[in-house]
Amino acid sequence: MLSDDQVNETVINVETVPSGVQNHLSSNMNVPAKLAVNSRFGTVSSISDIEVTDPQVFSHQNDRRAKQSVRFSSLNEMFSRSHHSSDSGDMDTPCTSRGSIQGRQKLIASLIPMTSRDRIKAIRNQPRTMEEKRKLRRMVDKEKSKQSRRIFELNCCSQCLNSISLAYRRSKNILSELLSSVSLWQKTLKIIGGKFGTSVLSYFNFLRWLLKFNVISFIVTFSFVTIPQFTVGGNNTFPFTGLEFFTGADYFTDTVMYYGFYTNSTIQHRSGGTSYNMQLAYIFTVAACLIICFFSLLFSMARYFRNNFINPHIYSRGIAKLIFCWDFTITHEKAVKLKQKNLSTEIKENLSEILQENGKLTLSQHLTRLSVHLAAWVVSTGMATACCAAVYYLAENNLEFLKSQKNPGATLLLPFVVSCINLAVPRFYSMFGLVEHYEIPRQEVYVLLIRNIFLKISIIGILCYYWLNIVAPADEKCWETVIGQEIYRLLLMDFVFSLADSFLGEFLRRVIGTRFITSLGLQEFDIARNVLELIYAQTLVWIGTFFCPLLPFIQMITLFIMFYVKNISLRMNFQPPSKAWRASQMMTFFIFLLFFPSFTGVLSTMAITIWRLKPSANCGPFRGLPFFIYSIYGWIDSLSNSPSYTWVVWIYQNLIGSVHFFFILTLIVLIITYLYWQITEGRKVMIKLLHEQIINEGKDKMFLIEKLSKLQDTDKRANPSSLTPERTDVEEPGPLYGREHEAAHDLRFRRSVQEHSPKA
Amino acid sequence: MGNKQTVFTHEQLEEYQDCTFFTRKEIMRLFYRYQDLAPQLVPLDYTSCPDVKVPYELIGTMPELKDNPFRQRIAQVFSEDGDGHMTLDNFLDMFSVMSEMAPRDLKAYYAFKIYDFNNDDYICMWDLEQTVTKLTRGELSAEEVSLVCEKVLDEADGDHDGRLSLEDFQNMILRAPDFLSTFHIRI
Repeated sequence: MLSDDQVNETVINVETVPSGVQNHLSSNMNVPAKLAVNSRFGTVSSISDIEVTDPQVFSHQNDRRAKQSVRFSSLNEMFSRSHHSSDSGDMDTPCTSRGSIQGRQKLIASLIPMTSRDRIKAIRNQPRTMEEKRKLRRMVDKEKSKQSRRIFELNCCSQCLNSISLAYRRSKNILSELLSSVSLWQKTLKIIGGKFGTSVLSYFNFLRWLLKFNVISFIVTFSFVTIPQFTVGGNNTFPFTGLEFFTGADYFTDTVMYYGFYTNSTIQHRSGGTSYNMQLAYIFTVAACLIICFFSLLFSMARYFRNNFINPHIYSRGIAKLIFCWDFTITHEKAVKLKQKNLSTEIKENLSEILQENGKLTLSQHLTRLSVHLAAWVVSTGMATACCAAVYYLAENNLEFLKSQKNPGATLLLPFVVSCINLAVPRFYSMFGLVEHYEIPRQEVYVLLIRNIFLKISIIGILCYYWLNIVAPADEKCWETVIGQEIYRLLLMDFVFSLADSFLGEFLRRVIGTRFITSLGLQEFDIARNVLELIYAQTLVWIGTFFCPLLPFIQMITLFIMFYVKNISLRMNFQPPSKAWRASQMMTFFIFLLFFPSFTGVLSTMAITIWRLKPSANCGPFRGLPFFIYSIYGWIDSLSNSPSYTWVVWIYQNLIGSVHFFFILTLIVLIITYLYWQITEGRKVMIKLLHEQIINEGKDKMFLIEKLSKLQDTDKRANPSSLTPERTDVEEPGPLYGREHEAAHDLRFRRSVQEHSPKA
Repeated sequence: MGNKQTVFTHEQLEEYQDCTFFTRKEIMRLFYRYQDLAPQLVPLDYTSCPDVKVPYELIGTMPELKDNPFRQRIAQVFSEDGDGHMTLDNFLDMFSVMSEMAPRDLKAYYAFKIYDFNNDDYICMWDLEQTVTKLTRGELSAEEVSLVCEKVLDEADGDHDGRLSLEDFQNMILRAPDFLSTFHIRI
């Protein structure tokens, strides 16, 4: 029966030729809706039992299923291809009418040789119902056990491996269950997301992520550095007054909080017991913290870049993105209504932008805009420089000033000034937005971010310069402790200011917005500014861990409290954001920020400290050494005397200490990067070509439809009396479809052959 | 682990674990959420695989779905017969796909089906109009709605056949990295 052939052809095309064909086929079936489109699917009923459907009925179960089964076979190719390229096998399998079952068998065949982990991943990623996935899994297991029974005697080793991997998978599941039960704040985040959407949620997720860093740092430093120090103990000569929590000085100076308290001895409790070298422990612990942070940052950054690659070429004022990226996490009724209203406003703005797009600016308007931008940049840079100069001046004179003051609260002056600058200047920058006009609204966000980053990084830079160049060589009693105390005070003052801002500032703004100047309304949560504050605090913590090992613990508490404070303030004083905020791109940018100026700055500061500065002579684990790094040199020297550790010495001398090794390593990394870059460029060109091809095929389709409809017209006019003269397939409801399908199929086949041959 | 549960056999739980992105504990928690929707209808013993469907009216009252403009489409897409009445399998499937662990391709596939109101495997003009209407709830005039739909087709329709296929949709989603985090229902 011809319908069967047609069915077969349908199935072949879906399975063997790229999906452009599929579009073509279905378009021929669906576009002329007046022809009994869905009745054609009635002839496909050899695959599954369906009745002829009325085109007006929109969803009919079996209709869907037939289309689904046909689609699934092609999707199977897509999904199984992406998971396991070697097993997709020969595409040109001979057709039968059981095309979908063929597809399923191919899928099963491709799943069997996979490892169980990959198999489960592939099954989970199948767009099928649970019942089908279950059947698939059972069939694969059955096949697998059949096969393994056959080769049982030969591969008891692989059986071992199988059981090991099963045990490993079970333990991983249990571990992930434990972790998810410990996962903090799930319910709170759900509520925040429900009311305010994904963008505000990204700030809280970022906070939670930073908290993890601090927890890990705290656990490492506490167990390897603080606990041994507790066992040794020391004297505390200071009295306890309440002011310590703010100044970090006095009583706290002689506690495990600061560097100066730690002993430089080798702790040994029983003679003949294990010895614990505090110097090495201290420096290795801090190095370990930084290395853990480095790698987790690197991997997070890489993962975010891979998922959310910010390609400036693909930027479009996407209205499609607005339509299809509805935020499903919003669950509160009012929030949904508000979001709908905001979306409508944004769509209207988008539409009007398009209509206005053609209006070009005159030269004088251009010049005005440019000069305004330039003025804004000059003012902002000038302000940042002025603030830095003020901080520098204050810092320089801080030491003498402190000596002349008796009041211990005077130490808080520098942190106070820095926090004031951090509070006031970013808000001042935001006001520039009233004067400057940007064509692309995203530019505005980025410019604001860059200005704020510049300010914060300069301030930290000035402070580091002050600490490393003025405090350290000043021959103070214990300069590392002094620096530790200053960082503690900075962090604390920052925390106090944030609290004040949340409780007072935002509250006041809400009162003003709702009672006095009601046109202002509630404010929106400024995600960028808050994230930058988090990054600033985290940078200080990383710098300070060396000088104050308990700083991660303090930051942990700070972040914990900040979460709840921000949460409460959010619910009371803010409204959901009105504009779409590209949360993923912004997060990628923020994590990149955390890595690039922030963490690398910390690494350089640490490097300068360890290699260039002289430890104080009377306190801390490194007292008496000429440089901090000499502890390592001394250790290596002592190791080279013992015969069993010569490999460590060898590694140190030839790999870490030698220039040639790093030179060769850098060269290899550069070569690999260059190769990957070239591959990426090549793929971009390929994408462009394929895109053009898709457009061309669409045009072909239109052309053929026109041509064939013309043919149909001429036929009709030539033979008006007889209904179906030369058409052999009388029962066939769509002879036109059959013919145009065949012609199109030929064209498509030829074209696809042409495609494949240059590739081959 | 701790308490022995009697709802599912061990084999059933393993199957659910392998076919969804959830752990055992989460599957049990989801089962109790499902059961709470219709306590008289849903038995507490699934070892005999009872054929129980919770009607759409009850599914639509879940706090996670109650105010979502697309709740009806979501229920229809994931239900067995396309009418919105869901078995436990459908329920788990739905939340598994909407969880944060599902990959982008899978989510894009189901998002496409949700926005395809007439189930013809293409997002045509009519589907787009329905989507935009649901999203804006009467704020836009009919003219603006059709203008928006035309613009969307302009942007996303790769082969210029006047409607979006799955490939066009997936291509467009690639350029919208927010999709992964917004197409997410937390339960």
